[in-house]
Amino acid sequence: MIGKISAENLMKNLKVQLLLILSAALFVLKLFFSPINSVPLIIINEVLFVAAIIFLVLSIGDLIKAGKMNLLSLVMNLGILNAIMFFFITFSDSILNLFYSNLGDKIKNPDLIYLIISFFYASIFISSLSYTFLTFRQFYFTGQKREQSIYFSTMSVFFLLALSTAFLDDIKGLSYINNTFMLVSIILICGNSIHISWIAFLTKKEKLLLLVLSVVILTLFILNIAKSGEDTTHYKILSGFSPALKTFLYLMMIYGIVYFSILFFTTLFHIPTAEAYDRKAKEISSLQYFSRLITQVLDFNDLAETITDIAIKVCNADASWIYLKHDSQNRITANKNIGFVDAEVLSKFVLSEFRSAHDQLEKTIYHLNSVKNVPQLSEKYSSLNISILRVHSEVKGFLFAAKKGDRIFDDEDKDALNTFADYASVSIENAELLEESIEKERLEKELDVAREVQKKILPSKNPEYPGLDISATFIPAFEVGGDYYDFFEINENKLGFVIADVSGKGISAAFIMAEVKGIFESLSKTSLSPKDILISANQILKRTLDKKSFVSAAYGIIDINDKNLYVARAGHCPFLLLRNGVAQDLRPSGLGLGLNYTSYFASTLEEVKIDLLQDDVLVLYTDGITEAKNSLKEDFGERNFEKILLENSNLTAEEISNEVIRGVTVFSQNTTQHDDITLVIFKWKQKFNFIGEQEWQNSVPQSKIKET
Amino acid sequence: MAEFSTSIKDQGNINIVYLKGFLDAHTAPSLENTFSGLVDKGRYQIVVNFKDLNYISSAGLGVFMAYIEKIRENGGDIKLSSMSEKVFNIFDLLGFPLLYEIFKTEDEAVLKFNEKK
Repeated sequence: MIGKISAENLMKNLKVQLLLILSAALFVLKLFFSPINSVPLIIINEVLFVAAIIFLVLSIGDLIKAGKMNLLSLVMNLGILNAIMFFFITFSDSILNLFYSNLGDKIKNPDLIYLIISFFYASIFISSLSYTFLTFRQFYFTGQKREQSIYFSTMSVFFLLALSTAFLDDIKGLSYINNTFMLVSIILICGNSIHISWIAFLTKKEKLLLLVLSVVILTLFILNIAKSGEDTTHYKILSGFSPALKTFLYLMMIYGIVYFSILFFTTLFHIPTAEAYDRKAKEISSLQYFSRLITQVLDFNDLAETITDIAIKVCNADASWIYLKHDSQNRITANKNIGFVDAEVLSKFVLSEFRSAHDQLEKTIYHLNSVKNVPQLSEKYSSLNISILRVHSEVKGFLFAAKKGDRIFDDEDKDALNTFADYASVSIENAELLEESIEKERLEKELDVAREVQKKILPSKNPEYPGLDISATFIPAFEVGGDYYDFFEINENKLGFVIADVSGKGISAAFIMAEVKGIFESLSKTSLSPKDILISANQILKRTLDKKSFVSAAYGIIDINDKNLYVARAGHCPFLLLRNGVAQDLRPSGLGLGLNYTSYFASTLEEVKIDLLQDDVLVLYTDGITEAKNSLKEDFGERNFEKILLENSNLTAEEISNEVIRGVTVFSQNTTQHDDITLVIFKWKQKFNFIGEQEWQNSVPQSKIKET
Repeated sequence: MAEFSTSIKDQGNINIVYLKGFLDAHTAPSLENTFSGLVDKGRYQIVVNFKDLNYISSAGLGVFMAYIEKIRENGGDIKLSSMSEKVFNIFDLLGFPLLYEIFKTEDEAVLKFNEKK
């Protein structure tokens, strides 16, 4: 890439260098062999000159290509250059004559001065004419797919031939050669001048400008050629410099006259259809706007903004806004160039006028001037257009556009806006669907996090104590129900345990759960009784729980040596004690944690002590089991639960648990589990008889104990 | 999840809120709106009738906790009535009867408010 560019640059530099060398050679030639009147000298002069023109044209061509100019500015430049040439042609007679007559006497070397002036004069014309030629070339190739054209190349070749043979014009008997080339060139000029399709793409304004410009430039071309008579100083300088230059001037002026004549008339005929063409062009560009909408569905508000933006462009409106249904209420979703209040007032007013006659709405352009009782607005609008935004033939909202002053909407505006509204509806729907799915995805991610938190919080394995068979089962619900259970190995004789259910669901429940774990973890290390642990936990939770949240919990301690169980309950499901084929409901009173932070809380709490007997089964659970629903929305219920427990109470803790889960699963098949299920079962085997067991049994904790 | 609805009946200074359907984490905001509407209007004497409520979850219970403090500070109360046994059990487990007055019928609850005056 870099190599290519530098090679191009090298070529450009080479052209410029050759141009300079040729110019210098020409200057030297003229300086030493002036006046040039022998045939060989003339030929050398012409060869150098034509070569210089070729390189000049190539150099300027590079410049124009690099600039990539707009066609109208090329026309403008052409006009300016012609005006300059006109200026020189007009004043060359008087100024130069005056100049020579004054200087001729005072300066030693008038020939040199004359040469420099003629060189300068000629350069201006050569440059201008080259630029003119290139501009025509540019015109020719605009709207053409090819970079090369045999017609244009042929014409260029004949131009060169005409230039090269210009000196033959002065030689008797040979002038027909030059005349022939000139004639062919002019014919080719006429042929090539009909390539003016580029004017079709101009807007009406640009066409009007072009019309004026072409008249002016045409006049300049005609004047320039008319004033280049043989007896003028101007003619003498140019033909003296090189007959080719004179020919070049004639050719370009003829090209200009032919081209701009055709351009003028064609533009003139295009003017009446210009407006229709503009409208078509606008329709095409609004199609592009529409496609822009499709890509802009990521942000709903951005989309709404874009819709109002485009609505304004589509019909040249002054203001636009969207009145969209949101939670069964219409409200302004986006407003452009109009105040929020104005938009709301106007929307309500117009919609109440039409009530539910939506079809009418779509066919009508609303002229505010002819309507009475228009509400007071901060700005005065004259014309309103309302398009309906529909999704699956349901009215989703309205797209308003308004114009001020004496500008009003016409039927074509109305059609364009209605079409646009259809596109807008589709993208609004897409945006809403996308938003929903993103929200859903976000919630799912959040729930993933919550489930992960919960999984980490729950114990990974059950503790092992002699004589105690432990099973813990946890089945999370999709929406993380906030269940928590834990074991605390206080020492080798004492096992603490907790079961809790945080109110609410999802990530917020998971966070409270994590905190609850921390609280019980640290409280379990103190020598507090279950009741005091719950009281302390309540106090600690006061700092973080909001009013709506609470935690039901039950805490217990099993003393292996004493064969005792101490439990307290803070609003949690009761413990079940299976003994001798009977399920005993242990329900010491107690408020849920977080329901009351005064001393009243402590006073509601009771603690129960139970002496454990051989094969006692203690069941802890959360309401996920008893409130499991079947397809008829019936609860699994305590009775079912107890029945399964009792039927299987002679099995191991693990087996009992499995039976319960199986029962619940069968009951609630074909429904989704909507709360966590936690089931912790202790089975007391009492196979161990420690020495000194009796001594331990007498040391009962000094807490409030209630026998059941 | 539009399986829950509330309606309000004015009975003098007392507002009776009827709950219907399933009150859970998804429908709780609807009841929150009802309560905050009443509190904003300064209507602090509220009886909640549970006659047609099929189910209440912990999130539903939380709604009562959210407003009770403010209501009681303003000399009002939320009294509960006409619960099915199942719903009462849920309240009972958490110890709500220790915090709220729960009545068998709506009339008893209304009577209790009037008695106090």
